[in-house]
Order: sequence, then structure tokens, then C-alpha cells
Amino acid sequence: MSSLRMTAGWWASAKVTLAAFAIALLIGAVLIAFSDEDVVETLPNLFTYPGDFFVAAADAIGSSYWAMLKGSLGSWHAIASTLERSAPLICAGLGVTFAFRAGLFNIGAQGQMTIAALIGGYVAFAWQLPAGLHLLCALVACLIGGALWGGVAGVLKAQAGAHEVITTIMLNYVAASVLLYALSKDAFQRPGSDNALSPQPLDTARFPSIGGVHLGVLLALLAAVLVWWVLDRSTLGFELRAVGANPNAARTAGMSTTVVYTVAMVIAGALAGLAAAMNVLGEGNALSPTLVGSIGFDAITVALLGRASPVGTVLAGLLFGAMSVGGVAMQASVGTPKELTAVIQALIVLFVAAPTFVKALMRFKDQGGGTTLLAKGWGA
Amino acid sequence: MRRITKISAVLSAGLFSLAATACTSDGGDTASEGENSDFKACMVSDSGGFDDKSFNETSLAGQDAAEEDLGIETATVESAGDSEYANNIAQLVEQGCDHITTVGFLLGDATLASAQENTDLSYAIVDFAYADDQGNNTAPDNLKGLTYATDQPAFLAGYLAAGMTESDKVGTLGGQNIPTVTIFMEGFRRGVDQYNQDNGTKVQVLGWNGKSGSFTDDFEDKTKAQAIGEQLIGQGADIIMPVAGPSGLGALQAAKDAGVKGIWVDSDGYESTEFGDILLTSVVKGMDVSVEQAITDSVNDEYDNEIYLGTLENEGVGLADYHDFEDQVPDELKDKIDELRQQIIDGELTTS
Amino acid sequence: MKLEIRGLTKRFGDFVANDHIDLTIEPGEIHCLLGENGAGKSTLMNMLYGLLDPSEGEVLIDEVPRSFATPGDAIAAGIGMVHQHFMLVPVFTVAENVMLGDESVRGGVFLNRGQATERVRALSQQYGLKVDPEALVEHLPVGVQQRVEIIKALSHNAKVLILDEPTAVLTPQEIEELMQIMRELRDQGTSIIFITHKLREVKAVGDRISVIRRGRVVGTADPSTSEAELAEMMVGRSVKLVVDKEPSTRRDTVLQVEHLTVTDPRGHQVVKDIGFEVRAGEVLGVAGVQGNGQTELVKALIGLIRPDTGVISLDGNDISGHGPRRSLEAGVGYIPEDRSHDGNVGSFSVRENLILDLYRDDRFARGMALRLDDIATNAQERIEEFDIRTESDQTPVSALSGGNQQKVVVAREFSRPLKLLVASQPTRGVDVGSIEFIHRRIIAERDRGTAVVIVSTELDEIYALSDRIAVMYDGRIVGTVTPDIPREQIGLLMAGATDTGEERV
Repeated sequence: MSSLRMTAGWWASAKVTLAAFAIALLIGAVLIAFSDEDVVETLPNLFTYPGDFFVAAADAIGSSYWAMLKGSLGSWHAIASTLERSAPLICAGLGVTFAFRAGLFNIGAQGQMTIAALIGGYVAFAWQLPAGLHLLCALVACLIGGALWGGVAGVLKAQAGAHEVITTIMLNYVAASVLLYALSKDAFQRPGSDNALSPQPLDTARFPSIGGVHLGVLLALLAAVLVWWVLDRSTLGFELRAVGANPNAARTAGMSTTVVYTVAMVIAGALAGLAAAMNVLGEGNALSPTLVGSIGFDAITVALLGRASPVGTVLAGLLFGAMSVGGVAMQASVGTPKELTAVIQALIVLFVAAPTFVKALMRFKDQGGGTTLLAKGWGA
Repeated sequence: MRRITKISAVLSAGLFSLAATACTSDGGDTASEGENSDFKACMVSDSGGFDDKSFNETSLAGQDAAEEDLGIETATVESAGDSEYANNIAQLVEQGCDHITTVGFLLGDATLASAQENTDLSYAIVDFAYADDQGNNTAPDNLKGLTYATDQPAFLAGYLAAGMTESDKVGTLGGQNIPTVTIFMEGFRRGVDQYNQDNGTKVQVLGWNGKSGSFTDDFEDKTKAQAIGEQLIGQGADIIMPVAGPSGLGALQAAKDAGVKGIWVDSDGYESTEFGDILLTSVVKGMDVSVEQAITDSVNDEYDNEIYLGTLENEGVGLADYHDFEDQVPDELKDKIDELRQQIIDGELTTS
Repeated sequence: MKLEIRGLTKRFGDFVANDHIDLTIEPGEIHCLLGENGAGKSTLMNMLYGLLDPSEGEVLIDEVPRSFATPGDAIAAGIGMVHQHFMLVPVFTVAENVMLGDESVRGGVFLNRGQATERVRALSQQYGLKVDPEALVEHLPVGVQQRVEIIKALSHNAKVLILDEPTAVLTPQEIEELMQIMRELRDQGTSIIFITHKLREVKAVGDRISVIRRGRVVGTADPSTSEAELAEMMVGRSVKLVVDKEPSTRRDTVLQVEHLTVTDPRGHQVVKDIGFEVRAGEVLGVAGVQGNGQTELVKALIGLIRPDTGVISLDGNDISGHGPRRSLEAGVGYIPEDRSHDGNVGSFSVRENLILDLYRDDRFARGMALRLDDIATNAQERIEEFDIRTESDQTPVSALSGGNQQKVVVAREFSRPLKLLVASQPTRGVDVGSIEFIHRRIIAERDRGTAVVIVSTELDEIYALSDRIAVMYDGRIVGTVTPDIPREQIGLLMAGATDTGEERV
């Protein structure tokens, strides 16, 4: 639809993102240097032997970032890990993006994933079905679980006007408690164990893998293409974007905001459900209270970094996946704390959210790329 | 919240060590270049992280001790969620680790998978064992489960608490209703029962009745444990034992605020927490000892897959000192507890 | 105070918004700045007020060159500005709003509200600006809010007052009152720069008129200049101010409204038992002061509000409970009174806005897939047909001038067969050239046999378009007349009664 505008704004916002990335890495480098024992040892003699300090700092920074790069992209195995780690981030991020385009700030990917994992996971470990069919059933169960949980927030918004930020946050808590409750019941626990841990998904319900990467990853990319098509090329996406940008004009033009809100949250939830499928059916994780980790929340960051566009979300998801995998390598090989990865990720988002600051820092000409989107989410 | 604390910890650690090195210009390496420097022991935490003042931290202490004592190399990786476990272990395999310790039952599947794949490495998992319905060990030859009979020292703690309470009410709370948590609470409850039997008293246990009780459903959020702690104290408990990892610190805060006493678990809280002055004692789970032992065995090629069970007898679990309460605990109570300890070791008394 | 602008120029990249503008504002005169939307009036004033840095040129006050880096500098130099969109805090009182920014303080910490209240009272008496200093701004009508802005400027001792399109938001009565205030201010020595594109107003109140077109001053005139001449200077070509139209050939009744009653969300009955009919090929003008139920009447007609009672029948079918989508599909076209609020999606491209209520049509969608090529073709055709001035059909509609945004709405609504057209304030905030164009299109639509309802608070517009005029007051139609009756008589009906002495505040 808006390809011309997209290309113009695209480069401006990509530039800001890249600059934000660079600044974040730079600050990260300073942190690495000053949390490294060898570097700190040189500090007392900084003025007598400044060379020692710079050699040690360069060594610490270089080896950390090198480990991160190598750990995330340096081998096929590393790339496979990155892809698998990125897949749920991309899917859940797409869910946030999709809702965002309808003007809804979906904080509930976490809860939607949780319920999806619960239902899909149950189908995956408890049902006995032939391969293929089992996978299909488990996948559909994941999608339904997510859609259901997202839909609750959508219906509450559409019918009762309840603000989706509040309801999705609350539903996250409810979902976490539902999971915990289920895991205290025998039906969800491993036979002979009282631990809050379910049996592992059966192999018949797992995504097949090729070369160490499960095929769910492909599904995630396919989902991104589909989301792009729906948003940009379909009547539904047209309605969705119109309602998101100006609900009054949309209503005047005969669109139903209640339908759009509900549908948007159902689809957003289903996408989060797909993210849960990556965890359960892709990686084969059993249900546990910490199954989802923080993916549902990281998804918000991914969507914002991706500027609520499907392509951007995929790229941001890959970046975060790579940093997460690379962060582990950095920690394992050089001992750099993994919090550093979190710091760098947070800084990137911070700088992307403050483009004026980055532009000033990098002396970009102000072309106003992508500021409004991030600022608008709340209050809508 | 946690992230923020950690980040600031990184920052302040940097600043602090800066100041520290400024004073002591001569650091010097310790025994890190020992005879086993070609051996690498590695550890993966669960999502609690290595700064949990609880079982991840204690387990790491064991690996650190091994590094010191044996002169081996080490590496660690912290996990943020379940989907990271497999990759985190794989990452350590790739880093050339010879022995990998994983912490917590949640890592059970990933650890088993990695152990089956890399038969030339040795593995140990804290707080978990692979067993079939009959309790037979099903672990592969290179994987050792480390478990702990914490009900034994918890029993003693319960007996002590019952002997020390003035309100005839003691309390406990858990992080989650799972076996590794409730085993403490159950031992504690039975210790109180034993005291009542022996002395004809009617000390009540709040927060656990043998089946259900008070749980925070969270091992990290201190406010939840604090709320439950206040509730227990409000109901009359004057000694409380939180079994909720770092979350439990909130309950100790509640105890301190209300002027009542506490009992810590996992590590000796007199040293690991800032609430030493209100702690009667601690139920110590010697994960550090067993982790180090497993590493030592691996270094010395004496590795087996026998499930390790820490008991009072092998000192894999124990009751910590009374510290500040040394003078307040009556001698006859101390003697009685020592007597019970011996009975448990001799198998004359069962605690669960 | 004498204000002189010499060679003031502002460039944005290659674009020259103001090109060597020279103006002199004498003490105690009302100087009108006349120009179409986008001619550069606001840019000029923003430079004068310290909001934009001039690329070239200088500003002299009493022969002394001055430069303003911030509005604060401009205010200190005696320049005050009332923006088109008010800068008031709705939940504060009038006095609090006036004191905002230079709060006088008692005893170091306590705000001196009493003093501010007194100051407002004094200013309001001196200049005849009736306003209650203790009233909350959010409770005040727009016209009174504007007075608060003026008082705010005066309280900073403004000697030159800039009024940026002050009449755009006002009713005819409020405009009359504002002009009275402007004259009073002038007589007491304050100079006023009055920015507008409305010819009638500059002639009524101006002492001198400078016309701006495409960033240049194209001429200065005095108020005796005819409207046609002024319009020509402003637009750059001769403009027809009166729409040529044949008498209507009334045919069958298309819209029949009976006993329509509407309650607003706050529970007030705002449309009270209204009935009227509109025939094919006829324009019914609904006149009235804003806020007398026209908004709700229109929303009910289009299906955005469900009426309490009554029938809205289109070609004999009651559509009152249908909702906007089915009403649109039944052949109702709608030009909303606030285009950026209800008419367009600002961040959407011109192309997308041109199909905002047509995207489901087989012309533009195949199943769920949008037919992008056809949508693009449609955009090109509409842009050409309606002379929409835009960089491309991909430009976000919010980047267009008000008139062109309105043309997008009009073009869209006219690009499907209509039975009924409901147009509310179809030319509000639209420049003269576009008004002429939109009016011609509306008449053309009438001549094609569409029934048309025009709701407008501008009597000029009602007269220009209507075949019959219904006057609304307090939710009722108080009279239906033909356009040959004098303005005064309609004015009386709009005031609700023959009693003209009553003043609305």
C-alpha cells in the first residue's frame, strides 16, 4: 500500500536503529572493561603505565564481543541455536506488532504463550496420535490456547471498553497461576513425581528438524509473511490499521471497532500461541512454571525495536536471539556476565525510543523517522 | 527488578574493585595454576541465577571451592528460562568442559539429553535424581543425581523451634508446593510433633499441615513472602522458617520487624543473610560439599552414577550453629537435639 | 509601539515558505493578513513570535532591530499571540491559566491567586472582555476560551497582538463579539495582526489589509476594496464567490425524517422530535448556531448514533438502526464536520483515504485481497478530477493543507453513486479556491438527482447552496424558509426567538 512512504521512512529509522546499536555496544564495551578483573588491576598504574590499561581493556572487550559473535553466528550450530532462540521471539513479537497496528498495546504475550503452552503441551504429551497428525493437533491447540487468551482481552476491550494494557497484564498473572495450578495436578505431572514439571512432549508431536534446526523456525518466518500480507494487502489489515490510527474516522467509514479489536487480539494471541509452539513442539521443553521465561515480555521490546512492522520484528527477533545465544557464549568462554547482554539490549531500545537523542549524538539531519509510533502506544 | 539489581551490581562491583585494588596494589594469583589446570568444571544455573542466596549460589560455592582446592578451570552460565537450558549446556560442551553441574530439577531433561550425547563428559545435577517407579537409578553412567535428606535437619529444627517458642505456635512457608520444598516443611512439622509427644505440649505448626500450606508461588519476589510471614506472625507464630529461596528473605524481614525469630534454610543464614541476629539456626543443605565431591571424583577418574543422598550421617545436610542464640537455647534442649541427631543417624528414628 | 518587518525570509530546505516579506504594523491599527491556507501566514507569525528562526531579514520594534530566540523574548518585547489551537489547561481556572508561567508568589511558596483574579477582572473590565476569572476553562465555550487567551497575552503587557485564524472556531455571534473586542483593543492603543482567509471579516474589521500568496506579500489594500478583488489577489486568479445554480427540479422524496429524538452520552436530549423531508435534486440547508443539535442530527442520519425514537427513511426503508456501514451501502454519502477527526485517517496516504469507506467494494477488493492497482488508478483519477494538491498519492493525508484534506473526503464520497449526501460544515477551514470548487461539486451532485443535506454555521454557505433552509435551535427545527428571506430574519430564528437583546456567554 504505502511502499513509497515506507522506503523513505525506512532508511531513516534503520539509520537510527543502527546508530542506537552502535552506541549501546560502545557503552557495553565500557562496562565490559570496567568489570574485567585484569583491566581493573591496571587502574592503579593508569598514569604510569597507561598502555597496560588499554591493552587489557581492548583484550577484554575484544574477546567478549568476539565470543558473542562467534557464539551466535560462528558455526552452523551457533546459527541453528540463534534461529531457534529467535523463532519464539519473532512469533510473539508479531503478536504484539499485529495488535499494535490496531492501536492496542498488547502486554499479554506472556500470558497468551503460557495458556497456549499449557493446552498445546497437554495435547503433545498426553495424546497418542500418529506422527504428523499429532503435531498438527498440538499446533492447533497452541494456536487456540493463545487466541483464546488474547481474545478475552479483545472482547473486554471491544464490549466493555476495558483498557487492554490493564487486562492483558492481569491475564498474565491469571495465566501464570493457571499453569502453576495445573502443574500441581497429577494429570500434568510426570508419573511418580510431585515436581511441577510435566512429561516431555512426545516425539510424534515435535517439529521435525533438518540440520539441527526444527522446522518451526520456517513456520515463524511464514507467519511473518502472512502478517505482512494481512496488514498491508488485505481488507482486514486496512480496517485494522484504520482503527488503530483513527478509530473515529474508521467508525465513520463503516468499520466496526468492536470486531476489529476482537479479531486483532485473537490473531495476536494465536501468534503468541505459535511462539509457545516453538518452545514446546520445537525445542521439546516440558511444561514448568518457568517455561515461557521472559519471552512474552521480550516480545514487546522486539516489536517496538522492529517499529511494529513485520520485517522489522523479524530482524529485531533475530538480533535479540543472536544476542541471547551469543551472550551465553560470552559468559561461558570469557566469563562476562550475561547481564551485559540485557544491558545492551535495553540500551538499544532506549536509544531507539529516543531518536532525537541519537540523531543529535550522531548528527543526523532530523527527518522525523519513526518517532510517533513508539510514543503513541499508551493512552491510545 | 532483578535485572536492574544485577546491572547495578555489575556497575558497583566494578567501582568497588577499583577502590579495592587501589589500596592493595599487590594481588597475585593464588593456586589457579595447579596440576589439574587442564580440567574444566562448568555449571548452569536455573532461572534463579547464581546470586539467589540459595541453592544456585551454594552449588556454585562448591564449584568455586573445587577450583581453589584442585586448581581446575571453571565456567558458568546463567539461564533465564526453560528454553535456554539445552543450549546453555551445549554451549559449555562446546567450551571444552569436562564436568558439567546443572542446578535444579527443571534442567533434568536437558542434562540427561546432553549426558547421553556426550558420554565422555561427566555430569551432576543438584536436587534431582533419575529414578523409575521403584526408585531404581535410571541415570546413564556419566550422570550423577545429587539429593538431600533435608527432612533430617529440618526435623531437628522443628524440635528446636517447638522447644523455644513462647506462643506455642511456629510457622513455615514454602516457595512452591514441590517435593524439594515441602520436604523441609514436613521434617519441621514432624520435629514439632516429636517435641509435643516428648513433653506433652501442644505446639502448633502454621503454614503446613502435611499436605497443603502457605506458598508464595514465587522464589524471587520478597514481598510475597513478607506478606505471608506477617500473616503467620499475626496468627501468633513467634518462630518462622521460610523455604522459598531468596523470596524467603521477605519473611525474615517480617520476623525482624515483628521482633520474632526465624530459621533459614539451604545455607547458614547467619553468614549468607543480613538477618543473623534473629536466626535461631539454619537447616543447611550441603550442596557445595556434594558438588565439590562430584567434581573431585571426576578429576580423579572415580566417577560413578550412584545417586548421592546427603544425610546427617555423611554431613551432606545438617543443622547450623545457634550463633547469637547459643546462650539462650537451654542445655537440655541442645542435648536432646544431639541425641535425636544420633538416633536419626543410627536409623532408630525416621523423619519422613 | 511600531512593528516593522524587513525582508524576512524562511527556507525549509529548498522550499521558501516566506520570501522577503516587508510589513509595517502601525500603533493602534488592525492589520489583516489575508491568504489561503499554506500561503505562509503562520510561518511569518511563528518567526515573529520566536518559534522559528528567520533565514534572513530583521524585525524592528520602534526602529530598533530585535531578535527573538524564544516566545519568551517576543513576549518580553510586547508581542502576544493567540494560537489557532488554544494553549490552556482545561482543569485550571481562568485566573490560574492567566497566571501560568509567571505565577506571583506570596510568602515564598503560596501562589497568589487573589492577585491573579484581580488582574483578570481589571483587564476584562478595561477591554470589555467578559469572563469569570474563577470559572474552569473546560466549562467555557470556545469563544470565551479565546478571550482568556487574549487576556493572557494582555496580562503580559502585549502591545502587538497576533490572532491566528481566530474566527475559524467561532459561531457568527462569537465572531461579532470578537470583532467588537478587537476594535476596543485598537482604540485603547493595542495593535492587532489579524490572520484570516475570510474576506467578509477583513472588510468588517480591518484598517489595512496585506495579502500573502505563496510566501510573498502580493499587495496591500484598504477595507473598501471589493471582496472579488481581494479574492483575486489571494488566489491569484479570478474567483467566483457565488455558485451558479439553476433552480432545483424537485423530484421524489428521498429522505423522510419523522419524530426523531436523540439523547447525547451525558443524557441530555439534544434532538427533539424533528421531522423533515428532502427530495431528489434538492439541497436542504440546516442553519443554526453550533451546539443546537446539528451534530447529533447528522450522526443519527448517518447511523453513528441510534436515535431514541423516530424514523429515518431512505427511499421508504427505515435506516435509523442500521449503523454506518449499512447506511453507506444504502447510498448515503457523508462529509463530516471535522475532517481530521472523522473524515480521514491522518497517517494513511491520500490513496488509502480515497477508499476509506470503499475498500470492501468489488472495485477495490477481491475477496480479502486489496486490488492495489485499481486503488492506485482510482487515486490518480480522483486527484486529477478534484484537483487535490499533493506531492503524490502516497503522501500521508495529514501533510496536506486543510482544503486539500477536505477535497480528499469530498472526492471519496462522490466516487460512488449516492442517493443522499449529508455534508456537515463542508468548507470549514478551507481556502477560498477550494470552497468554490467544493460548492460547485455539491451543486453538481444535486443536479444529478441526489438529495443533499448541508449543515453549516456559516450563513454565506447556507445561502449559497440551499434550495430550502431549516433553522435549528435547541434541538428543534424552529422554521423552514426559502433562501430569498433576509439574513436578519434567519439570524432571529437562529437565536431561537424574537428576543435579540439576550447575550450568550
